[in-house]
Amino acid sequence: MSTFALQSTLRPLAERTDQEKASRYRVVGIVIALFGLMVAAASLIGNVVVADEAANADTLAWTFGLGTAGFAAVMLGIATTLIGILIRLWLRVDAVKAALPGLKPDVEPGDSVRVGDIDTAYGLATVTKTVPEKLAIHRMAERMWLPMIAMGPMLVVAGLVFAIVQSGETNPGTFSDLGAIVQGTQFLGQGLILAGIAFLLGTILSSLRSGGAEVQAALGVSIKTLKMPPSAKAFVGLMAAGVMVAMAQFVGYLVATGVDDPTSWFAWLAPVREFGLGLILSGIVLALYTIGTVVGFQFERLGQIIREGR
Amino acid sequence: MEAATIKQFDVELTSRSPGYNLPQRAGIKLWLPMLVMALMAFPAAVILGIVRADQISTGGSGETIETLRQVQVGAMMIGFASVFAAVSFAIARILGQFRKGGGDLQEASGRRVVTLKMPVTAKVFLATMMMAMMTLLGAAVLHFVFAADVSSTTASLELSAERFTVLEGVQRVGIAMYLVAITFGLATIAQVLRFQSSRVRELATEEPRR
Repeated sequence: MSTFALQSTLRPLAERTDQEKASRYRVVGIVIALFGLMVAAASLIGNVVVADEAANADTLAWTFGLGTAGFAAVMLGIATTLIGILIRLWLRVDAVKAALPGLKPDVEPGDSVRVGDIDTAYGLATVTKTVPEKLAIHRMAERMWLPMIAMGPMLVVAGLVFAIVQSGETNPGTFSDLGAIVQGTQFLGQGLILAGIAFLLGTILSSLRSGGAEVQAALGVSIKTLKMPPSAKAFVGLMAAGVMVAMAQFVGYLVATGVDDPTSWFAWLAPVREFGLGLILSGIVLALYTIGTVVGFQFERLGQIIREGR
Repeated sequence: MEAATIKQFDVELTSRSPGYNLPQRAGIKLWLPMLVMALMAFPAAVILGIVRADQISTGGSGETIETLRQVQVGAMMIGFASVFAAVSFAIARILGQFRKGGGDLQEASGRRVVTLKMPVTAKVFLATMMMAMMTLLGAAVLHFVFAADVSSTTASLELSAERFTVLEGVQRVGIAMYLVAITFGLATIAQVLRFQSSRVRELATEEPRR
């Protein structure tokens, strides 16, 4: 595994973390999220104040940019909390590895471990004698979450700067063009942050798989690993579709800047840009469902080892 | 059931695995219906947006265009309320797997079953999620009510635009609140993982009950 991929699983960071201490990522994540909520509330106040004014476009320009930046801040809070979870997962692997030899009964190791696929209450699983290879999609998630989380906020902040410039613009044509750039840029940024969160969830799934196999290998028992469930495949599909829509809406808004009257373009681009985020969020739901399934499978396997010793 | 505080964690002591609690059972049952509803609402909102764009480009009436604007955003808000609810329920399902799985494991090992009491973050998660859902659904309902109220007069169109501007701000706060609720839900998972790591190490040194 490359150094970057190893670092991005946060295993080395977990090794330097005291498991008894509360996670600082958890606290920082909550603080960032609450800050984002306050920013969104400021945007609401701006909208309410100018709602009954006829010439309110300049204010609505910056409140739009600010509101979207608020969402991005809360999403960063979510990403920070997920980083904390990832570190905790590795600490849990170490704790289970240390405790399990004292909990399982001493039995002779089975001389004829049956390898291959088995059916479990949580779906199809594979039995192997050695730790299975990482899945390609897990390797990709480990490499991609950080660049996405880094690029997304940059685009959202760039969009906020454009929104502030737009609010001071007096030329109607330039005002409209800047509005298109703000919307396209900020929603692409949000799409990338959500994709980063989805890749972090993929990295958590990867760590659950690697960690589960590592625990079983350390005990010298056969290694049972859940196969990629259909929900995980649908997660990847929805997330990829969502990112493509986020990119397409960005291109659409750029094209709209060259149109004489872009009002009708804005009318269909607004729901499309939100549809893109909706697709990524739907993928995130399936990723969380898959995590729940894998956790359930792992508890069942640990229970089996404690009861049967193999 | 006995309550105790062990290593800064408020816990419940039982002899059997406690299984899922009520929010976790709701999460297990409701994540999929919510996701399905979201996946229906999002395309509906896109179609309404395309119809509205067509009305604008073909010189449709101001009343139709304004009505479609309110209805389209209302549909989109139903989509977002549903997908965020699905995310929240999926998080509750994960917490349920940790609670039930952790209890089952301790029971299988023959030791006392120690379960983390619902942390403050979990309570905030539930309360914020409910407030956010009410905010978004309330905004969606108002969009439909205001859409029904639109007429072709200038005063009506201006009133609708004014209402739209206020609701837009309310929606932003609703979405941000939902995202904050999700952060608290995830923070609860981090806390549960910390507790379980501590408990599993302790388990090996504890005498079995049987």
